[in-house]
Amino acid sequence: MSDTRDKKIGEHESLRELLSLAAADALSEAELHALEEHVAACSDCAAEMHTWQALAVGLKRLPTPQAPPLLVERTRVRMAARIAELAEQRTNHWVIAFLVLFAWAVTLGTWPIVRWFSDGLLSWLEWNFNQTWFGLATYAAVIWVTAGVAAAMLGLRKHREGRLV
Amino acid sequence: MIGLNQANTWEGQVALESDVARLRRGDSQALESVMARYQHRLYRYLLRLSREPALAEDLFQQTWMRVAEKIRHYDPNRSFEAWLFSVARNLTIDHLRRYRPESLQEPGAGDEGGERRLAATGPSALDRVLEQERAAQVSGALAEMPVIYREVLSLRFEEEMKLEEIAEVLGTPISTVKTRLRRGLEAMRHQMETRFPSAGAW
Repeated sequence: MSDTRDKKIGEHESLRELLSLAAADALSEAELHALEEHVAACSDCAAEMHTWQALAVGLKRLPTPQAPPLLVERTRVRMAARIAELAEQRTNHWVIAFLVLFAWAVTLGTWPIVRWFSDGLLSWLEWNFNQTWFGLATYAAVIWVTAGVAAAMLGLRKHREGRLV
Repeated sequence: MIGLNQANTWEGQVALESDVARLRRGDSQALESVMARYQHRLYRYLLRLSREPALAEDLFQQTWMRVAEKIRHYDPNRSFEAWLFSVARNLTIDHLRRYRPESLQEPGAGDEGGERRLAATGPSALDRVLEQERAAQVSGALAEMPVIYREVLSLRFEEEMKLEEIAEVLGTPISTVKTRLRRGLEAMRHQMETRFPSAGAW
């Protein structure tokens, strides 16, 4: 008898703890069903339920502060500028990648022509690879340094004009 | 709330997905549409967390700037709303952690007084106060809650987010969301009853 009573009290307390979550609509179907059955038979819990629901309604009906129009407009302008800046950076990355590939293509493509003018067309078949590759490396280095200086000067000029490269 | 109504319809959801996709491609024209949907709700959420209009405005700008920088990394399979609010939340928590770390402390398990209040029976002064819809008092009580309760109560009752979305915003399991909801409501009730202790018979 007392076991049954203790069990009912325990069940009552555990269901009572679900009342606030019920007001927040945060119970599972099974929990809600069990709670509704209990509330129908327990006036204390029914009163508690009413209180929690009133609190939930109070929270739902809080006035909504409006974002100041100037704040929104200022933010929109800054955000649009940032999006444009990021898009330009991405474009620049692709341009740089293309220029790097193009530069290598030009370097390798013009190397035979340079060798032909300097030492005959088939001289790049020499076994003396050190001289050949050294020549190629020097030629590539000259081109890359020249291109690097030109790119730096262009970037500095654009930076002074107030634009990001 | 126009933004909330727009997002809740099927057409609104499709329009939002389209705007977000355009934004991801760098179309700044979509920006205005996306901001119009969320500007007031986001500001409200930041105000609830920060409790200071000036700070909320600053965080509002930072949130949208972060969205501009990270939108290309946003996973379209996720809820944009949850993602947006998680960005806002993370910025706010970072700020509070830096300047007001004490505000992030979670109350002890027995601090809210909720368990004591659960033993009360019968009609209460709280019922009469809330029946009179004194929103200002509810708002004031909410502002006095610890931030971990304020945010979950705001997301559930004001933003009407599902538990799964709240869990995504907070980066916690759903069980934690439910625990904080329960404790937050108990703390709110305690706060309200403290404010109006003798309005009626106990």
